[in-house]
Parts: sequence; C-alpha cells; structure tokens
Amino acid sequence: MKEPLFLFRGINKTFAESQVLLNVDISLCQGNCILLSGKNGTGKSTLLKIIAGLEIPDVAEIVISGKSESWKKTITEVRKAIIYLHQQPLLFSGTVEANIAYGLRFTSLNIKQRSESVKTALAWAGLTKLAKQQANTLSGGVQQRVAFTRAWILKPKVLLLDEPMANMDHESRIQACNLLLRMKSAGMSIVITSHVLQYFDGLADQHFKLKHGRLETAKVSKKKESPAA
Amino acid sequence: MNGLLTTFQQALQLLLAGDQELWTIVFLSFSVSLKAIIITTPLALLLAFALTHGKFAGIRIILTFINSLQAVPTVVIGLFLYVLLSRQGPFGDLRLLFTQTAMVVGQMLLCFPILVALGYAAIKTVDRRVWETARTLGAPVWFSMLTVLYEVRFGLVAAVLTSFGRVISEVGISMMVGGNIMGYTRNITTAIALETSKGEFAQGIALGLVLLTLAFLLSVLLSYLQGSKEFSR
Repeated sequence: MKEPLFLFRGINKTFAESQVLLNVDISLCQGNCILLSGKNGTGKSTLLKIIAGLEIPDVAEIVISGKSESWKKTITEVRKAIIYLHQQPLLFSGTVEANIAYGLRFTSLNIKQRSESVKTALAWAGLTKLAKQQANTLSGGVQQRVAFTRAWILKPKVLLLDEPMANMDHESRIQACNLLLRMKSAGMSIVITSHVLQYFDGLADQHFKLKHGRLETAKVSKKKESPAA
Repeated sequence: MNGLLTTFQQALQLLLAGDQELWTIVFLSFSVSLKAIIITTPLALLLAFALTHGKFAGIRIILTFINSLQAVPTVVIGLFLYVLLSRQGPFGDLRLLFTQTAMVVGQMLLCFPILVALGYAAIKTVDRRVWETARTLGAPVWFSMLTVLYEVRFGLVAAVLTSFGRVISEVGISMMVGGNIMGYTRNITTAIALETSKGEFAQGIALGLVLLTLAFLLSVLLSYLQGSKEFSR
C-alpha cells in the first residue's frame, strides 16, 4: 500500500444521541478506489461529508505525511484537495459549459487557459455537443457525467462519490464507470458509496461495509480488469 | 361628475406638461425610496441567508420578531424615529429630523423586515446541495452565498420589487420625519395628503396616477417573474 494522501482517524459522529460513526479510520491513497457499502442510514454519506469538510464530526484527526492534527485545524486546507459529489447530481442553472467551468475561477488559471481546459474536459467526457445546453434539462445519467467532469477538471486528489449509480440506466452506469476508471488511472483517490456493487468490479481496490458505526472489511471482486465496454 | 372629469383632465395636463413642481416631487420620492432599498437589500439578504443556512440558537425567535415587525404601522415607525431624532432624543445632535436622510432611514426600517421575510422564504426553497456543491468545488464562502442567491434570483427580485412598492407608497414615516417641506422632503404621498387637505385635487390625482402606474408596472413585472419557469426554483 502506498503512503496515504490523507488518513482520517478516529471519526466519531452522533446525531440526536445516536452514534452514527464510531472510531472510523479511513486511509486515502493515490490511485486507490474504496467502495463503501451498508444499509440506508448507516452513515455512509455522513462519513463522506466529514471527509469533504461539509459535516462537522464530534471528534476526528487527519494524518498527513505522518503528522497528526485535529480535523478542525486541518480541514480548511485538506478540503481543497477533495471533491464530494452528491447522490443526485446538483448542477447550477446555466449551460453545461458554465457548470464545468465553475470551479476553475478559483484556480490560478487565466480566462484563456480556463476556456482551453473546459474544451478539453468536454471532449474527455464526450460532452462537446452538449456544451451550450442548459444543464438542468439533461437526463440524470448525462447530468452525472457533467458533475464528474466538473470535478475532474479541477484535478482533485480525492473524489468522493455518494451513490453515483443511483437513478441511472445500465448504459449510463457503464459510461460513468469508464469515466471513473480513467480518473483512477490518472492517480485520483476515489471513495464510492453504493448499493449497486457489481459495476465496481475491477475499479474498487478495497471494499468496506459500514455496520453499527464501524467499518468492516468486505471481499473485493476483481472480475473486470479493463474498463467496461 | 363634471368636476371630477375636469380635475382628472387638469391632472393629466400637469403630468404631460412636465410641471416642474410635480416632477420634483416624483423624482424625490423615487430618489429616497431607491436609496432605502439599495442600502437595505444587501443587509437584509445577508440576514435572510444566515437564517436559512446558519446553525445557531434563536433562529425561530428572530424570524418571529421579523414577521411581527412587518405589521408595525408606518406612523409608529415614524414616531419611533421622530423621538430618536428630535432635539431631546439620543440622536438629536445629528440634526437629521426633517431631512431626506431621516426619510431614507425610516423607509429602511420599514422595508428591512419585509426583505428579510421574503428573502428568507425565497432562499429557503434553494436546495442545500447548491451550497455544498459550491463549497466542495472550491468556492469561498462569499461566492458560495452568491451562487445560492443566483439560483433564486427571480424570487429575490420579486422581494425587492414588493418592498419598493411598499416604501414608495408609505406616508406615515415621510410625513413625521420628513416634514413635507416643498422641494426638499415632500414626496408623492405627503404631497397627495397636503393637496387633498387644501382641496387642490388636480396635483393629488396626478401624483396618484404616478403611483398607480408604478403599482401596475410592478404587478406586471411580478406576474412575469412568477410565471417564469425559473421563479419556482
């Protein structure tokens, strides 16, 4: 196992006196894909949101390059390298192009470089023809691809996907898996929560089940080694 | 009946002939009310945003208080401000009583709770994921806030238009803290009250027509926004 980019240690979270996460440790490594499964309400989304800095844990630590700091102290810096995608992709009002370009304005790229990046990203995801379409008028599967591309263009170190295959047909799922495989090949660390496990054969390196607030190691299927066709 | 028609004709003549006194009053009304709206809107939207997205104690109490303030009559706001700004009042030294600034402040007090309440109702409809998505894509807090507000822009414009309609048509505050001084603090509503008390209906009706036209235009604009697809977001 490679040196982790970030090691989230001892994550605890309570909602209304119910312990959702209990001393959860999760290590995020470059080019590694973690599949998280578990019943509804077991805290999968909460865990991802804590990693993304969108939910505050009761207690947690982040270890970077062997140095441990509290979650609260480190998360502002760490979250810059992490992107979280919701179960239902949320696209802003505006065109596909505008959505993909959204995060680039917070980078050091100038307008010309941003425009070039958007063109490359649109081509990468096969969305060039849809660039000028209003994002909210697209089908669920295409919206998810736009959301992936909007994340990919920012080259995050870690990508967190909350039930990315929900509300997608078979073809859209295969397309989404292909995009994820390419992201992983590019060195992105990916964490996926899903009930639909078969699509991640060959993509996931580790599989954990979240049960009673704790992560349990589950069997990883390696049936497919190449991107789904 | 003939008298009413004649007065109405005179009112139209005043408007169309570009009567300086009348148009000065109209200009002053718009100037004061626009200033009040422009200053208040960012503050009110900031509070509305904090109330929808913030996690702090007392949100319900603040909302109840804001809703109660909407029902306060304009003369009471005028009286409250009069006491504060009068020579014996805590802000008497500022010498703001019977000035346009006092009218602006009074109208700000009037439209603030309306803007907060309508802004809150509009922002509340925005999916929480908009904020989370903006933040996770690297947007700073202020830009994420603008993103959320942009998603509900038609609702917010409607809130601003409604508030503008309310402040430009109020009479109590302008009369009490403005003093109805010709060319300085006389606006449409105080002028109508004065002209009517003098039995000079033509100018009053002319000014009333301006307000009615404005009300009509605002209603048309609001209907357009409410009918637009994105208003429902």
